[in-house]
Amino acid sequence: MPHLSTAAVLVAESTGTVHDATGTASYAWLLVALPLAGAAILLLGGKTLNKIGPALATGLSWASFGVGVAIITEMLGRGAEERAQHLHLYSWMPAGGFNLDAGLQLDQLSLTFVMLITFVGSLIHVYSLGYMAHDPDKRRFFAYLNLFIAAMLLLVLADSYLLLFVGWEGVGLASYLLIGFWNWNPAYATAANKAFIVNRVGDAGMLLAIFTMFATFGRVDFAGVNAAVGNASQGALTAIGLLLLVGACGKSAQFPLQSWLGDAMAGPTPVSALIHAATMVTAGVYLIVRSSAIFDAAPDARLAVTIVGAITLLFGAIVGCAKDDMKKALAASTMSQIGYMVLAAGLGPVGYAFAIFHLLTHGFFKAGMFLGAGSVMHGMNDQVDMRRFGGLATFMKITWITFGLGWLAIIGFPGLSGFWSKDKIIESAFVGDGWRPWVFGLAALIGAGITAFYMSRLFFMTFHGKRRWTEDVHPHESPATMTVPMMILGFGSAFLGLALGPTGVITDWLEPVVGGGEEHHPVLAVPVITGLTLVLVAGGVALAWLRYLRDAVPVTPPVGSVATRAARRDLFQDDVNEALLARPGLHLTRALVYADNKGVDGAVGGTAAMIGGTSARIKRVQNGYVRSYALTMLLGVVAVLGVVWVVQ
Amino acid sequence: MTVGGAESALFWIAGPLAVAGALALLFARKAVHAAVGMATAMIVLGIFYIAQQAEFLGVIQIFVYSGAVMMLFLFVIMLIGVDSSDSLVETIRGQRWAGLLLAAGLAAITIAGIGKAAFGTPRGLAEANKDGNVSGAARLIFGDYVWAFEATSALLITAALGAMLLAHRERLTPKATQADWSRERIRSGENVAGLPAPGVYARHNAVDTPALLPDGSPAELSISRVLRARGQVGTTGALTQVTQEIEHEVGDESDEQATTRKDDDA
Amino acid sequence: MTAALSSVPAADFVATKVEYAAVLPMFIVFGMALVGVLVEAFAPRRVRYPIQLVLTLGGLVAAFLVLVLYSRDHQAKTAGGAIVIDGPALFLQGTVLVLGAVGLLAMAERLDSAAPDTFTQSGSAVPGSPQEAAAVRMGATTTEVFPLVLFAISGMMMFPAAGDLLTMFVALEVLSLPLYILTGLARRRRLLSQEASLKYFLLGAFSSAFFLFGSALIYGFAGSVRFGEIAKAVPQVGGMDSIAVPGVLLIAVGLLFKIGAVPFHSWTPDVYQGAPTPVTGFMAACTKIAAFGALLRVLYVAFEGLRWNWQPVVAVVAALTMIVGAVLSVTQTDVKRLLAYSSITHAGFVLVGVLAMDRTGVSSTMFYLVAYGFSTIAAFALIALVRSSGSEATHLSQWAGLGKSSPVLAGAFSFLMLAFAGIPLTSGFTAKFAVFGAAIAHDGTWLAVIGVLASAVTAFVYVRVIVLMYFSEPSGDTAVLTPSVLTSTAVTIGVAATLLLGIVPSPLLDLAHDSSLFLP
Repeated sequence: MPHLSTAAVLVAESTGTVHDATGTASYAWLLVALPLAGAAILLLGGKTLNKIGPALATGLSWASFGVGVAIITEMLGRGAEERAQHLHLYSWMPAGGFNLDAGLQLDQLSLTFVMLITFVGSLIHVYSLGYMAHDPDKRRFFAYLNLFIAAMLLLVLADSYLLLFVGWEGVGLASYLLIGFWNWNPAYATAANKAFIVNRVGDAGMLLAIFTMFATFGRVDFAGVNAAVGNASQGALTAIGLLLLVGACGKSAQFPLQSWLGDAMAGPTPVSALIHAATMVTAGVYLIVRSSAIFDAAPDARLAVTIVGAITLLFGAIVGCAKDDMKKALAASTMSQIGYMVLAAGLGPVGYAFAIFHLLTHGFFKAGMFLGAGSVMHGMNDQVDMRRFGGLATFMKITWITFGLGWLAIIGFPGLSGFWSKDKIIESAFVGDGWRPWVFGLAALIGAGITAFYMSRLFFMTFHGKRRWTEDVHPHESPATMTVPMMILGFGSAFLGLALGPTGVITDWLEPVVGGGEEHHPVLAVPVITGLTLVLVAGGVALAWLRYLRDAVPVTPPVGSVATRAARRDLFQDDVNEALLARPGLHLTRALVYADNKGVDGAVGGTAAMIGGTSARIKRVQNGYVRSYALTMLLGVVAVLGVVWVVQ
Repeated sequence: MTVGGAESALFWIAGPLAVAGALALLFARKAVHAAVGMATAMIVLGIFYIAQQAEFLGVIQIFVYSGAVMMLFLFVIMLIGVDSSDSLVETIRGQRWAGLLLAAGLAAITIAGIGKAAFGTPRGLAEANKDGNVSGAARLIFGDYVWAFEATSALLITAALGAMLLAHRERLTPKATQADWSRERIRSGENVAGLPAPGVYARHNAVDTPALLPDGSPAELSISRVLRARGQVGTTGALTQVTQEIEHEVGDESDEQATTRKDDDA
Repeated sequence: MTAALSSVPAADFVATKVEYAAVLPMFIVFGMALVGVLVEAFAPRRVRYPIQLVLTLGGLVAAFLVLVLYSRDHQAKTAGGAIVIDGPALFLQGTVLVLGAVGLLAMAERLDSAAPDTFTQSGSAVPGSPQEAAAVRMGATTTEVFPLVLFAISGMMMFPAAGDLLTMFVALEVLSLPLYILTGLARRRRLLSQEASLKYFLLGAFSSAFFLFGSALIYGFAGSVRFGEIAKAVPQVGGMDSIAVPGVLLIAVGLLFKIGAVPFHSWTPDVYQGAPTPVTGFMAACTKIAAFGALLRVLYVAFEGLRWNWQPVVAVVAALTMIVGAVLSVTQTDVKRLLAYSSITHAGFVLVGVLAMDRTGVSSTMFYLVAYGFSTIAAFALIALVRSSGSEATHLSQWAGLGKSSPVLAGAFSFLMLAFAGIPLTSGFTAKFAVFGAAIAHDGTWLAVIGVLASAVTAFVYVRVIVLMYFSEPSGDTAVLTPSVLTSTAVTIGVAATLLLGIVPSPLLDLAHDSSLFLP
């Protein structure tokens, strides 16, 4: 394989900038190992750990955060070009003539994620101490949480696509276990199932992408692939890019694989906050940014990424307008916001840094809002129907304030986090030539308006207006273990953007990894875009105020227009899935099973009859089916020989 | 390659016989006929081998296949019962046609393939039988293919073991002796003198004919339980009639009732 | 007549040399089987079980040790070319020995009975008859299964090491015949078991006929049954492709039957379902290993020169196997049938590796077989423990809620299911990666794509089982028995190997790579 050796040479050249990990960074494996050990201890430890288990898990998660902080501090002490490090763990897999080592990639991008995951993750551990206090099975819950943290860290720290895929499947598994955690409800189990199946589609794409990479480059580690991109054909790169996009769509709930996220809200709320808002669903964005070398070389694939992002951000926003279930509305919002990130990532170097920036701020404010939603549910007997809320502001002051900060952040209120990150994406979307800036820019712009509408709707319906409670609820504020994380996240929602965005910290920090930094000029002037955005946002908020604060909110949802009904049904996503995927699959299966039953098998019925049947019947069953089996074999033989005969 | 006149005459007479035997194995309805058909095919094959100067193989073929294996088959068929035949009604629609069609297809493909192949010149018997036919066979069996030959012993042992497992019923209790039975009878107090023997009549004597009780009715206990269960108990009416006739001639009248009594089991 | 039968002096006869160092492991296993038969004949009934267990396990362990420590350094083509002890043969023989021992542990499980729980105590008695009841009451045993397993293993060791078609055929029968018998000896649902046994036997005989037919054609083609001679004849003999190609394909059919490849798979579900569960695990693991070993040798050593003729056909078979196995597994409601279809799909995956046609093909195939073998033996050992009203509960609905009632079993089984699905950090992922990687490197990309899609489909199936165990309410009287140390050991070894081969596969991959060269 000559291309292998070329790739190896290229790698040798490119590895000049990546240093082997030294000092604190050589302990980076602890990042993954600590929470993984926690999961193992809690799962295997048995009932004796019921008491201290949750605290142990929380402690290990914080410990992992500590390691992350130590590594990043040391990294800050070095020059920008010296920061990226690589930690070799062990020789993992020599297969098919290539050797793959398991190693950790410690660069600015991965450590940004490490910070987000461990910090938000640890906060959510703390929150869960309160939220799950009365759950009999909380040891298992914390074990899964730790497992998730470990897998997610492995995902972002992996130095090869294959190791990334390990983490990828790991988070999928943890997510699946956590969605179905309250498995006494069959609907929850179904939701877990759905999440798993849709994710398998994405995973198949991911796996195929890895195999295509292997076929094209002869290797699958980031350094090797990035170095060899220049030698690959356009077709192969586009194929890899599109397959990676399929993988990203599955994990990040992007169109057309978005259907699972809404149902995944069946899991406990901290899970929704951690996995289905802040971290796991952003893995797709990470994947695209990490694969920037491939996407930069395959413009068609990148365009597909942008289109998917644009569609999803509008899709999620529209669905979000019609949902009465608080968590599902937030889920739709998550989908939409990730659409923004994917859009930004699809824009190329101009957008990578902002995609990650928005991912960070979104991680904070969306997690904060989910925790707020959990707090509301905690006080409202686990109800989620917003038409049954209203006027909660006076009863849950802290929740109201923290949630309010998140709300202002997500709609892009000037000065708060979302303003800095989302507006940058909208600006970037307007960069370019031809039709693209107009389509993508306008999509992003309109999305911002709709976001303002549905988030305000959610906020007003929950915390303001008349009380529409069912009779047996007594809203109350949540305990400190829950409110403190909310306050911290609320603080982050407010000021993280300010700290990182206008100061240029985030773009400078990420620049060595994802590029960017050059000046770009949107097709509209920046102040015009900002102005338009603010007008649309204000319009959205005003509309929500008119409909949901000034007018009374009916307790039963009105029939609504066709559009509303369509949005309530998630724009018919399940119907489409059913018609396009499930039914043909079912028919195919049925047809094959029919053939199996009638032509060959029949033994299911035959066997049952045999056990209770008469001896005559036994004989018939025995003789009958064996000769059918033999006939199939003979058919195979004749077919095999016949084909060869014809070909010869 | 030339074939002498006598050899080709032998082939054209024996060949159809072998084919007929093989077909009989496939299509005969009775197991015995099938076995005889197979034996015919085997014997004719043996004759062919001998005609090809593979005397050893030919003799072994007849000894082992026709002699030993086929006789075993016949014994098995006798044990199972000559009459027992499986139902040959085909219940799966299209099975036979599909089977015939595919078999014809396979035959066509292979025959065409063999026909198309350009075989090289045969080595000839002279070389093969260089140091005698038996020695040549021995050289192959105990030389080149000794491993395969020895490995078949595993097959034979497995087969024996399997037969023991699936057909042999292990004796779990010590076999009861006559003394044991006797003790048991006396202990239970039933049939202390043993079960009655089957009936012995003037001109008839068989295990399926019951003895007669003093009142002239058949003694159920005198017939084996198995025969009773199968409903194969003979009637006594005709037999006792003969007896009566003889007795009549002799002048020793017996009880009227016994003559009219019929065996219900019949 | 007299001339032919005359006594020609056989002084020039030279006995065939056998390199005993190379074949010693096979001799040990075979010898132990013979000793086992003698034990059956002479030992009193009560002590047969312990004696047989110790003998059999000891024999397997001894054979493995000899293989690793001694025979490895005596690789040879021996017994006149009938047996070839080379890298692949040793690797597969070692695998069969280890997996055979693990499988045997599961088969020997007694639970609270005096005899192995999985086998009937009286194979000859009519199911449900007074004789059967009496046999159970009197404590009859069928400890003959131990020598039978050893015979099967010796056949499985000979199969991938066979150097000619004749030896290969004898090995095929030596490994098959004990399996036919073992299949029919289930303690519960005996009619089903006997039906399965008969089906297996008849179809096995049918497939053997194809193998023999193919061998005859090849003998006609090459004038020899030795693989080396055949390989030499392929480029030399002209004008006979019309029998050589059908010959190799018919031989392949005989081997593909054992592997369970579509369209020669129809026996698999019935036999897997009917056979005693631990025997099913043993068959699924070890038979596949042996048969793939034989297939590798036939295709790589003897018929490499004809690959352009047979390779497309085998590729189509592989694709069909993956697709049909995956699709049909979706609708299965019986755990054993489900795993049977799963094994068909896995056979397809392994075939993808076989088709790579170079060292990576051999090494990835062998690695896959080891990985799958460990997982599947453990899975079937676990299935044997789930009972409902005295019988094995194999219907999926009876598995509902096992996650709550017996978390250890459900956890282990779920893990194995994830391995079958090819989730990373399990051996299933590494193995799939290895075979698909090998395929992609050698123009088999389309097969790898089908493979990935098929494994996505089967993942759904396996996850459905997990969902059922964890997310459904228990139904009926399903109970999980507490196994003795035997089954526990077997399951622990299986699960541990599945995990280890997922995390640190490189030692075994290296070993497989180092052992991937056939002697010509």
